Amino acid sequence: MNIVIIGNGVAGITCAQVARQRDADARITVVSGETDYFFSRTALMYSYMDLMSRRDLEPMERSVYRKQRIDLVRDWVVDMDASASTVKLGSGSTLPYDKLVFAVGASPNMFPWKGADQIKDGKVHFVSMQDLDDCERLTKTSKQAVVVGGGLIGIELVECLLHHGVKTTFLIREPYYWPMALGREEADYVTEHMRHHGVDVRLEEEMTQIQVDAAGRVSGVVTNTGETLPCQMLGIAAGVKPNVERIKAFADAPELGRGIKVGPTLETNLPGVFACGDCAEIHYPGQERPLTELIWYSAKRQGALVGGNLFGDAAEYAPPLFFNSSKFFEVEYTTVGSVMDAPDNAPTLYRKLPGKYMSQRIVHDGERVIGFNMLGSRWNHEILERWIHERRSAEWVEKNLRSAQYDVEFGRAPLHKHDVQAMPLNKEWP
Amino acid sequence: MRRQNAAGWLLHDVKNRGVTAWLLFAALTIFYILIYGYRGGAMEPIANVFHGLMGTTSSSPDQWAKTLIFFLPENLVDRWTLYGFLYSVAVCTGGGWVIWKYRHNRYQIVRTSVVIFVQVAFGFSIPHILKFFQQPDYYFSYFWPLKFEYFQPSYIASHPGWLVFYTFAGSLVLVPVMTVLFGKRWYCSWVCGCGGLANTFGEPWRHLSTKSSWSWKFEKVSIHTVLALSVVTTAMWIVPSLPGVNLVEGTTAYAVITWVRSAYALVVVTVLCGMAGTALYPIGGTRVWCRFACPMAAMIGLMQKFGRYRIRVKRDMCISCGMCSKYCEMGIDVRAYAQANFSFTRASCVGCGLCAEVCPRGVLRLENVSRKDPQELNMTALVDESWKGQHSSVGSRT
Ligand SMILES: Cc1cc2nc3c(=O)[nH]c(=O)nc-3n(C[C@H](O)[C@H](O)[C@H](O)COP(=O)(O)OP(=O)(O)OC[C@H]3O[C@@H](n4cnc5c(N)ncnc54)[C@H](O)[C@@H]3O)c2cc1C
Ligand code: SF4
Ligand code: SF4
Ligand code: SF4
Repeated sequence: MNIVIIGNGVAGITCAQVARQRDADARITVVSGETDYFFSRTALMYSYMDLMSRRDLEPMERSVYRKQRIDLVRDWVVDMDASASTVKLGSGSTLPYDKLVFAVGASPNMFPWKGADQIKDGKVHFVSMQDLDDCERLTKTSKQAVVVGGGLIGIELVECLLHHGVKTTFLIREPYYWPMALGREEADYVTEHMRHHGVDVRLEEEMTQIQVDAAGRVSGVVTNTGETLPCQMLGIAAGVKPNVERIKAFADAPELGRGIKVGPTLETNLPGVFACGDCAEIHYPGQERPLTELIWYSAKRQGALVGGNLFGDAAEYAPPLFFNSSKFFEVEYTTVGSVMDAPDNAPTLYRKLPGKYMSQRIVHDGERVIGFNMLGSRWNHEILERWIHERRSAEWVEKNLRSAQYDVEFGRAPLHKHDVQAMPLNKEWP
Repeated sequence: MRRQNAAGWLLHDVKNRGVTAWLLFAALTIFYILIYGYRGGAMEPIANVFHGLMGTTSSSPDQWAKTLIFFLPENLVDRWTLYGFLYSVAVCTGGGWVIWKYRHNRYQIVRTSVVIFVQVAFGFSIPHILKFFQQPDYYFSYFWPLKFEYFQPSYIASHPGWLVFYTFAGSLVLVPVMTVLFGKRWYCSWVCGCGGLANTFGEPWRHLSTKSSWSWKFEKVSIHTVLALSVVTTAMWIVPSLPGVNLVEGTTAYAVITWVRSAYALVVVTVLCGMAGTALYPIGGTRVWCRFACPMAAMIGLMQKFGRYRIRVKRDMCISCGMCSKYCEMGIDVRAYAQANFSFTRASCVGCGLCAEVCPRGVLRLENVSRKDPQELNMTALVDESWKGQHSSVGSRT
């Protein structure tokens, strides 16, 4: 069997490895235009801050590909012929396939801001290796920067710029930082934390116009308050979307929506053609809204599932109860279950350690817990998850919270010193 | 990308095998040659090359020591006092920096404080106090096989009974019991002076350890070879002094035994442990000796595999960023375990806790627990295993 996988991200490479486990003889080719080898996109910021080299970003030794006989091709796939079962590469050559997997990931959102079409240099995203090249090149000649978009990638970019001594303004359109995931109370002190680090955080402030100098390099942005912020670098981190732009130009292509449309087995409308990871838009029969997951572990799970389905498993993808973790400068964050997607005014217990950037929010529905937002200390999401499945009450959970702590030895967060407050979930946004 | 200013250049250069790192390596090497080049020692001819250039002699370092450490009685002070003093200063200042840097992490604060205390008290003060009272200068924080001579008959004969008892009880009872209960970290990251220096003064270079699977293979062979050699050499000290054994000078047996004993002392004790271990910091990372050659590490590493210590991995939370692997001074590819959802105990892990500290997603936790985890014995198995048969949920073996 001849398997071609487009994209060497975590979805594509996991898929290739599972396929190799299933079939020692299959021919497995992974094509990617971004880098020669799989690297960890999530660690871009550590390379930017000189905590790791570029090579350190590769999660596996290069010999693994040789040992597992996974052929790597560095090129862009530019076209596809479904009837002939071939894909065409940028170099002009074609690759035949028996099974094809799209694992093309996500690309950054860009909106038609006034002045955006004038930019020749100075605008960056923070998603690809090429973005990191741009960032590093521009940092050398930048004193001030503006970052647009109050999410995770935005705050990572801000931290990097600050590390390099670039004065940075963080424009957040919403009334507080990351309302998609955080309650107002948590967001307020995360903002305070950012400001403490020297970030000029602007809430409810939007970019309305981009200014460029004579050479076309970004020189400033105008915001909706009328203020002009001079800057030599403009970071756009206004979310990502499935990376289907290139595919739209294909002569043949699987059916596209926001992403690549697939059913529960992650197969597209073209038989033998699959999609997994950030680019997959999963449609479940009877469900109105498709599922698109832009998370590392989902990409990994989906890639593994497709690896088996290539051989006729027909296994259906079921997303786990949602969990994730992140870090806002030094404040660590763990979330499980439903928090900001819980019903309006859902009752919550909000526990906060006075004077510290540390809190726990337990969301429930009056009878049982449905979600957790934990900041400033470490938590074992496996236990929090179990409590949700076990339909534990908020009181029970509060009493047993200790057993889900995951802090370092000697460093257990002092739960008994927290103030506890019952409050409804305040969703001013969207 | 490094920071743009001069400080940024220097910091990057010295931490990443740049010119300044090599210069520091050269300086440290010369320093060690001068210290170990005492009259009659094997290093003396090499030291004399440098003394020739400086117009000094192989006994000069003892004089330098008396001048620099003027506050102690002269008869107590020699080059080893100077070395011990500088060592303690390095541990204290480096340790202060480490405590500040990781001030949000109580494990690091407690551990580093203990390391500083052990060095200042047991590694420097107590031996000198003993010497002052004309007692043998005993180091309570070292055990056989690291302190190799502790099991030598002549050493035992010349020390008071209670110290000999401590030596044997420490090496044969305390070390195994503590290691089974808490892992080898109780010693390598809390007590041992070598580990102490690595985790304080050595902090800027901890990431230089190689993580290749080849180095893992090499380490398993090299470190257990040294352990075997240390056992054999110890036997060569003990056996000749047993009643009924009569070793006659001039025989082949005598020649072989004395050669092995002095070769071990020179190569393992002096060059590898004494000099290379530290001099290599800026080039090979902080734990070259600890990882590839320390017989104590080999011994308690094997005990650790049967003990309660492990590093726990939270299921599916790892984003494969690699910070843990990068900052593991023992060259363990922690990421390979974390992304495969394997909790693990590696013989070489010294339990410094830095992998857990630097992990941006809080995936890792050092623990003492009674349960055992499945263990992958090489990188190929680890990589293969991690994807095997895990189609609907990638690995839930925690
Ligand atoms: C800065 C940053 C931080 C993140 N942090 C986290 C985090 O903390 N936790 C978390 O869960 N997730 C995080 N994510 C999201 C996570 O990285 C993604 O969910 C994950 O990488 C998706 O993997 P993938 O394999 O689907 O796609 P990708 O990793 O995007 O790989 C797709 C690859 O396909 C290539 N490609 C696309 N089109 C073509 C073509 N036509 N021809 C050839 N090659 C093509 C792309 O260039 C790319 O290399 C972060 C993302 C970013 C950018
Ligand atoms: S490995 Fe050996 S030298 Fe290193 S800290 Fe452990 S016992 Fe000490
Ligand atoms: S695995 Fe972690 S605790 Fe063990 S030596 Fe490496 S960094 Fe230290
Ligand atoms: S540092 Fe944490 S998230 Fe990064 S690879 Fe290691 S375990 Fe995974």
